Amino acid sequence: MTAVAAQKLVVTRGGATLLKGLSLSLGATGSVALIGPNGAGKTTLLKVLAGLEAPQSGAVQVGGQALASLSNAARARTIGFLPQHFEPHWDLAVRDLVRLGAERGGRPSSGGSGDAVEQALVRYELRALERRRWSTLSGGESARVLLAMVLVADPPVLLADEPAAALDIRHRLEVVQALAARGRDRLSVVVVHDLDLAFRFFDRVVVLVDGQVAADGPAAELLDDRRLDAAFGVRFERIRTAGGFILQASTTTA
Amino acid sequence: MKPWLALGAALGLAIVVAACAGHDWVSPAALWRAIDGDRDLGSRLLVDWRLPRVLAAGCVGALLGLGGAIFQGVFRNPLAEPYLLGSAGGAALGATVALLVPLALPQSLLLPILAFAGAWGATLLVLGIARVAGAVDAAGLLLAGVAVAAILGALRSFLMLALSDETVSLQIVLSWVLGGVQTPTWPVLGLLALITLGCTGLALLLAGRLDVLGLGETMARAFGLDVTRFVAVAVLAGSVVVAAAVAFGGLVAFVGLAAPHIARWLVGPLHRALLPASALVGAIVVTLADAIARAALPPAEIPLGLVTAVAGGPFFILLLSRRLRA
Repeated sequence: MTAVAAQKLVVTRGGATLLKGLSLSLGATGSVALIGPNGAGKTTLLKVLAGLEAPQSGAVQVGGQALASLSNAARARTIGFLPQHFEPHWDLAVRDLVRLGAERGGRPSSGGSGDAVEQALVRYELRALERRRWSTLSGGESARVLLAMVLVADPPVLLADEPAAALDIRHRLEVVQALAARGRDRLSVVVVHDLDLAFRFFDRVVVLVDGQVAADGPAAELLDDRRLDAAFGVRFERIRTAGGFILQASTTTA
Repeated sequence: MKPWLALGAALGLAIVVAACAGHDWVSPAALWRAIDGDRDLGSRLLVDWRLPRVLAAGCVGALLGLGGAIFQGVFRNPLAEPYLLGSAGGAALGATVALLVPLALPQSLLLPILAFAGAWGATLLVLGIARVAGAVDAAGLLLAGVAVAAILGALRSFLMLALSDETVSLQIVLSWVLGGVQTPTWPVLGLLALITLGCTGLALLLAGRLDVLGLGETMARAFGLDVTRFVAVAVLAGSVVVAAAVAFGGLVAFVGLAAPHIARWLVGPLHRALLPASALVGAIVVTLADAIARAALPPAEIPLGLVTAVAGGPFFILLLSRRLRA
C-alpha cells in the first residue's frame, strides 16, 4: 500500500511558475483523473510526483517516505511512469522493450523477471508481436507495448500522462479503462484529455488550473460543479445518457 | 548464431587476405609455411613484420568500432562518432604534446595518458557546448564537435610548427594525424590485444544501461537509471577506448561511424550483441583498409586514415541524406 502526498509544490522554469504551492493527497488505492486546460501544470505535477523533476520547494511523500530519499531503483519499482510521448532511439523488438521494463535500471532483477515478461506479453496481447520492431507497430500496438513496459513490474503507484491522446476511440477506451481499473487495488493517477472518459471511469477527479488545484472530489459530485466550467473557460451542458453523462461545451460568450 | 559465424569467418578471411597483400604479394601457402616455422628471409619478414602489423590493424579497428558503438549509445545518435565528436582530435592533440613537448615522463607512458586526457576533455567540451547552446540533438552535437575538432586541429598544427626541430621528427606526428598503424613487436601486439579485450569487457559492463538510456532520458530516469551519472561514466569509458585506438592507430576516420551501423544491421540494436559485433566489424574494415594502404601504390604506403576517409566519407553522406529525408 503506497499513498502519495504532495506538499506545497513550487516549480518555476524560465521565469514562469508552473506549480504554485500545490498540495495534493492521494490514497494508496483509487483511480484519479487529472484534468485541466493546456498549460495548467498537469505534466509538470506528474513528473514531480514521479521523481523525474525536483521542485524548487515543497516535498513529495511516497508510502510515508520522502520521495527524494528513495534510491533510484526503489523509486523505479514503486512508481510506474507512463510518458505522453515515447519513442525509443533504437528500433528494439517488442519483447526486448518489455524486458527492459521488467529489469528496471538496466540490471536484471533477481529471478522472476522472465515470468513477468511472459505474463505481460500475454496480458497485453503482444504474444504475436513479440519479435516485431517498434517502428513497424501501429499506434494502438505501440500503446499496448508502452503499457506492458511500464506495468510489467507491477508498480503500486502508476502515474500516466495522456497515454491515449493520439489513439482512435476504441484503443483510447481500452487504454483508459485499463488504467482506471488499476485503481481497484492500487493507485492510478492519469492525466485525461477526454472529460467524458475522466468522469465515466475514474473515482476521483482533480481539476488543475494555473498550477493550482481548482477543484477536487468524487467524479459524480464534481460533474455538476460550476468550477469545472470556469476552469476550462466554457459553458458545459450536462447531457444524461443511458451510460451516465456527456459534457457538451460551448463558448461562454453565448 | 549465424551473424557471429559470418563475422568470425569474415575476420579470418580479412586477416589472411591482408597478410598476403602488400608490397610483395605472397600466396596463402607461403603464409602457412612462414607461420609453420620456416626460417628463410621471406618467411621471417612475414612473421616479424607483416603479421604483427595486420593483427595490430585488426585491434585498432576493433577499438574504433567499439568506441563508435559506445558513443552512439551514449548520445543516442547514430551519427555520433569519435572522429566527428572531437574526442579523436583531442586524443591526437594529447599525443602530439607527448611526442613534441619534452616532459619529465617517458614518452611510452605519457602518450597514452595524454591521449586519454585529450579524448575525455574534448568529449566533455563538446557535450558542454551543446548543452549550454541548448542543442543536444544530432545537429547540435555534430556542429559543436566540428567546431571543437577544428580548434583542436589548429592547436595541433601550431604545436607541430612551433615545436618540431631536427631532433623531433615531424614525420612521426604527421603519420599520426593521417592515421596509420605502426608495426608493433610481438610483446607490444600482445599488450594491444589485451587492451582490446579489456576495453570490450569494459564496454559490455555498460551494455544493459546503454539499452535503457536508448529508451530516452525520461523513460530511463523512470526506470531508475541515474542518467547524468551514467552518461559521465560512459563518456569516460568511451574516451578510454578512443584514446587506446588513437594511441596505436592515429586518427582513423569514419570506422567508428560505419562499424556500429553495419553491426546493428547484422545483430540488432541491443548493446550486449551490438558492442562486440561493432568491434568485429571494425576489425574487419581496418584490416582490409590497412591492406589497401600497404598494397595499392607500391612501394609507397597510403596513410590508413586516407583510405578509410575515402571509403567512409560517402557512407556518412549517405546516412546523413537518408536521415534528413526521414
